[in-house]
Amino acid sequence: MKIRLKLISTYRELLPKGTQGNKIEIDVPEGTRVSDVMTQFNVPQDDSSVIVVNGLTVPLSTILVEDDEVTAFSAIAGG
Amino acid sequence: MNGWHGRILRVDLTNQTTSAEDIDPKIARDYLGGRGWAIRYLTDEVDPMVEPLDPENKLIFATGPLTATSAPTGNRYMVVTKSPLTGALAHSNSGGDFPTWMKRTGFDLFIFEGRAEKPVYLWVNEDEVEIRSAEHLWGQDVPSTTDALLAETNPKAKAACIGPAGENLVLMAAIMNDKDRAAARSGVGAVMGSKNLKGVVAYGRKNPVFAEEKKMRELSIKIAKEVGADMLAGSSLREHGTAYVPQVTNTLGILPTRNWQAGTFEGVDTIDGPTLTEKYLIKPKPCYRCPIACGRLTEVPDGPYAGKGEGPEYETISSFGSGCGVDNLAAITKANYWCNELGLDTISTGMTIAVAMEMFEKGYLSEEEIGQPLRFGDPDAMIDMVQKMAYREGFGNELAEGSYRFADKYGHPELAVTTRKQEFPGYDPRGSQGMGLLYATSNKGASHMEGDVAYEEVFGVPVKADPHSTDGKAELVKRFQDAFTLIDASGLCVFLAVRYVFSADRMIWPVRLSQLMEYTTGIAYTPKEVLEAADRVYTLERMFLLKAGSTEDTLPPRMLNEPLPDGPAKGQVNRLDDMLPEFYKERGWDENGWPTEEKLKELGLE
Repeated sequence: MKIRLKLISTYRELLPKGTQGNKIEIDVPEGTRVSDVMTQFNVPQDDSSVIVVNGLTVPLSTILVEDDEVTAFSAIAGG
Repeated sequence: MNGWHGRILRVDLTNQTTSAEDIDPKIARDYLGGRGWAIRYLTDEVDPMVEPLDPENKLIFATGPLTATSAPTGNRYMVVTKSPLTGALAHSNSGGDFPTWMKRTGFDLFIFEGRAEKPVYLWVNEDEVEIRSAEHLWGQDVPSTTDALLAETNPKAKAACIGPAGENLVLMAAIMNDKDRAAARSGVGAVMGSKNLKGVVAYGRKNPVFAEEKKMRELSIKIAKEVGADMLAGSSLREHGTAYVPQVTNTLGILPTRNWQAGTFEGVDTIDGPTLTEKYLIKPKPCYRCPIACGRLTEVPDGPYAGKGEGPEYETISSFGSGCGVDNLAAITKANYWCNELGLDTISTGMTIAVAMEMFEKGYLSEEEIGQPLRFGDPDAMIDMVQKMAYREGFGNELAEGSYRFADKYGHPELAVTTRKQEFPGYDPRGSQGMGLLYATSNKGASHMEGDVAYEEVFGVPVKADPHSTDGKAELVKRFQDAFTLIDASGLCVFLAVRYVFSADRMIWPVRLSQLMEYTTGIAYTPKEVLEAADRVYTLERMFLLKAGSTEDTLPPRMLNEPLPDGPAKGQVNRLDDMLPEFYKERGWDENGWPTEEKLKELGLE
């Protein structure tokens, strides 16, 4: 199934080389969890990251479904 | 005294005299400095019912015990007065260079009172203090004024001043320092203008003395090294400034769009940090000795919006960008330059124009009334309005009163997204519940700088909180209000402080901050004690607010009754009523939001 991965600001460099913008579409097997995608793209899964699915706060063990959008960025004081 | 100088410079503009006085050591200790000292003096000397632009109001510039010290980012000052925009308290914060230079004059506070008959500026060269004529500077913009002030005094000095907006008593006028840094909010620039005070120039070599020099140096270096390592590893704030934030708030569906009619903006990719970095960034520009350097020195090299200056940061992008439906980053940047040059708060200016745009599109305002069409997404009309507001020209004269007064006059106050008549910063409280409670109860009207719980709800610092939940938000808001009060009193910057001098857990316990205060002042402050002092300051501010008649803690109808139509927070409103009673209990206030006698006694405020 296809999902979208968006990595914001400094995390953009974790996307594949040559990616335009901050978002890619990827194919993942059924049953894929948020944490699996984060592991695949080397996104830290501790308090140093904020990770949301479709803009919502969910556990990293959440199983993704078709068309989900996973977004991650580095936790940092704001604007 | 150590840390503080313990000296106040009082400037009587009516009689053109200045005097120095010592601060009572008990007040020094109990109110910490900066914002804390300022509210104590304002409360003691100004009737809360005073008309903000009358000579009886006072304007206080305040540094903290950590300003001009080795503590990283120890370079902030506060401007405290009664606000003409909110009719309540104003306390606006700024960095740059000026705060350190101000403290090096040997004074912690400047208190301005009365009104000069003709325009003047203040030149403070340690104990040589002069009130000089500024008649030749009246009408000049911020860069010209700053250049002239330094040329006439000492090129090595630093200056704060108002632009035409402050002179014209525009209710969202800022006090600018070092040309591009702003004590922006609540119309503090209009108060300065009402006093005929064009500028303040500071120079001196009186660095504060530390009680424990060695410990202070060691802890400062330790913190600076930690920040430095994080910056080297890659920091959004260093790389993109706060301009990285639109992508974050858009993802969460809380990016104010077209005057808060939506929470996501289709043009976000063209107004974000990486776009700014790639197209217009010359280099990051730090405040004095700041290891983060979130400031942006930028240039739009050509085209209709060509210019050079500082910014934009996130708040400016969310007001002039998504807020006004403008997806042109060059135009947003140009609007920012104009605000800096004319001396305007970018949040209130952009958000007020956004309200006018909605009223025009809905047919509540005609082209004849405005003098031109004013549609969402029209960058030229937006920029034109910025200039007209600063000079109160044409319809700009209406907008110069702020969105609430202007929308009310034209029959639609419900479209002004304000609390205490101050425009919201860039986080929609329908999708960040704690921010709604913060805006509703803020001592200075809607502001993120009053206790930015977006740190947890949006940015995950120090830990992540679910922005859609109201659980625990009463306590969270109180913690952040106290933490930010403490930071503002200390003279540090919130960007560094929350992450590096508080404990990295939900308690946000000011372990290192109290140590820095102890090493500086020599007073054996504990984390508990400095938080109690912050509570004292916050409560005293609250009393000023209530006595000024600003007693209603609420949100505008759009936030309470109109569900967000899009994004992850679609269908939600802010559930203020679920949080407010618990919040009052947390603060020790009664069911109407008045601090109880017991609480006042506990804090020594009876």
